[in-house]
Amino acid sequence: MRPYFADLPKTALGAAYWLFAVYLLLPLALMTAMSFKDASFVAFPITDWTLNWYAQVLNDKQFIEASLYSVGIALATTATATVIGVWIALLVSTEGIWGKAIIFALACLPAVVPGLINAISMRIFIRTVDIPTGTAAIILSHAVHAVPFVVIMVLTRLRSMPANLIDAARDLGADPLVAFLRVTIPYLMPALLGGMIFCVLTSIDDFVRTFFLGGYKPTLPMLIFAKVQGGMSPEINAMATIVLIVTAAVGLYAERLTRRSRN
Amino acid sequence: MVDTTTTHARSAKTAPTPRYAGWIGKAVGSGLYRHTIGRLADSRRVRLAMLAGVPLLWIAALHIGPIFQMGRISFMADYPPAPDGGSAYTLANYELFFSDQLYFMPFVRSLIFAAVVTVSTLVLVYPVAYYVAKIVQPKNRMRALLLLLIPFWAGELIRTFSVIMLLANRGAVNVALRELGFIDRPIPMLYTSFSLSFGVIYLLALYMLLPLYSAIEKIPTPLIHAAADLGAGPFQRFRRVILPLSKDGIVSGCSLVYLTSVGVFAAPLLLGGPNTVIFPEVIATLFHSSNDKWPEGAAFAMLLLAVSLSTVGLFMRVIGGRSVRLM
Repeated sequence: MRPYFADLPKTALGAAYWLFAVYLLLPLALMTAMSFKDASFVAFPITDWTLNWYAQVLNDKQFIEASLYSVGIALATTATATVIGVWIALLVSTEGIWGKAIIFALACLPAVVPGLINAISMRIFIRTVDIPTGTAAIILSHAVHAVPFVVIMVLTRLRSMPANLIDAARDLGADPLVAFLRVTIPYLMPALLGGMIFCVLTSIDDFVRTFFLGGYKPTLPMLIFAKVQGGMSPEINAMATIVLIVTAAVGLYAERLTRRSRN
Repeated sequence: MVDTTTTHARSAKTAPTPRYAGWIGKAVGSGLYRHTIGRLADSRRVRLAMLAGVPLLWIAALHIGPIFQMGRISFMADYPPAPDGGSAYTLANYELFFSDQLYFMPFVRSLIFAAVVTVSTLVLVYPVAYYVAKIVQPKNRMRALLLLLIPFWAGELIRTFSVIMLLANRGAVNVALRELGFIDRPIPMLYTSFSLSFGVIYLLALYMLLPLYSAIEKIPTPLIHAAADLGAGPFQRFRRVILPLSKDGIVSGCSLVYLTSVGVFAAPLLLGGPNTVIFPEVIATLFHSSNDKWPEGAAFAMLLLAVSLSTVGLFMRVIGGRSVRLM
């Protein structure tokens, strides 16, 4: 066999990969390292190490409150977006409906519109229908953003579902609702769990929508943003590291789930 | 359980009275359900209405409604409209954009910025995607991809913040360069267009990686080998075989990165300086200063939306990808 790839390009590509991996991971590693620095200013090099900043963060009432608030919003967002997303996916996958392509395109609209525009139009809209800025507005805007992703994930899974599974259930006497709850939902479960975790993570991470729709109570990103603008301190590094570790763990778990659902 | 034959014709014919276990059975077996939803669902039209009602309502109210309303307000002279009911529509908000460099320049800067970020990301990520999709052994592929996905889960703000650790005057790069004796005083990198582009590429690289990876992975490797057998050199193989076949990935990756970087908001606030004011910041100020600037802000947002969507549309038309895959 001829050497189809001379070794040079292969090595160069490998180098590109590792450089890219370092590029992606180095800033986060530096941030984590800085959270252990035993001094109140943020600057390299790090000479003394400490865990004090973590103790401080975990005793920070603002941080705990903002985290709980963010998690609450994320759960409400996820519940809303999952119900609506599954509903839309079922509608789009139903046979013999006119205009499915249009419905699908419109269902994906918020994923294509830039986040800022999304946030501003939602702010104008909630003013029009008299929803005050605050928790409800945040949840609604996060859900609008998350729905297209749920739709796409669920549709991908639905496409691999044997077409006659529901028919079989119905022939065996299942009520449509029972067929849906006992056949469709269990089949969708891996995609649903993946989609739900995706919803939780995007909601917890969202800054621009919360910025335009939030009330006075800060969410986690708002708190971090305010602290960063107020000046650097190793406390922010510790805070960010905690959030990073928790969200990355949840994210990796979601990744495993979605991968399993594709197989 | 109650006999269901009267309300459930279908099951009566084909099977004995169905019994369902647990709460589902209780709900479906209850008279309330059978006499309302159960009976209604026997009609195909009603079933369709139940299936379509909520989704269509949601899409109309929350996907189209807000943008429609934003478009409407962008033509209004005042918002909220004057109390005497005179709803004056005007083009003044759009004229303002063209009459003042203060608005025009950040807009142009935004589009150029997004284009530069998109092209750089494509060039940076393509070899990486190719390496993972075609050179890494299949059993290690997922691990190689996951390593790159970890930062993706860290979130926008934390990653933007971590870039500051790298580029600050006393950040890692400057300290390292000084220790190595290349520089005496730190190079100011933060709050410039460099730090902004660096940060945004850092944020969006994975939006490029995933579509590219899935497109390249689908290219049949024997095709590449065949091209080599027919005498195509590495460059020709890339230009004539690999590149055209990964077009879909390029189109969706570039579209995603372009659309996101046009509207990027938090990163310029943290990484940008006075010389890097881009359009989203301008729009945001119109919404935060006072309410009567809403029509102008809405008009500018509509302009940004229209121009960015049509740029992507044009791009897709020219390059000719089939569709934008989102994930």
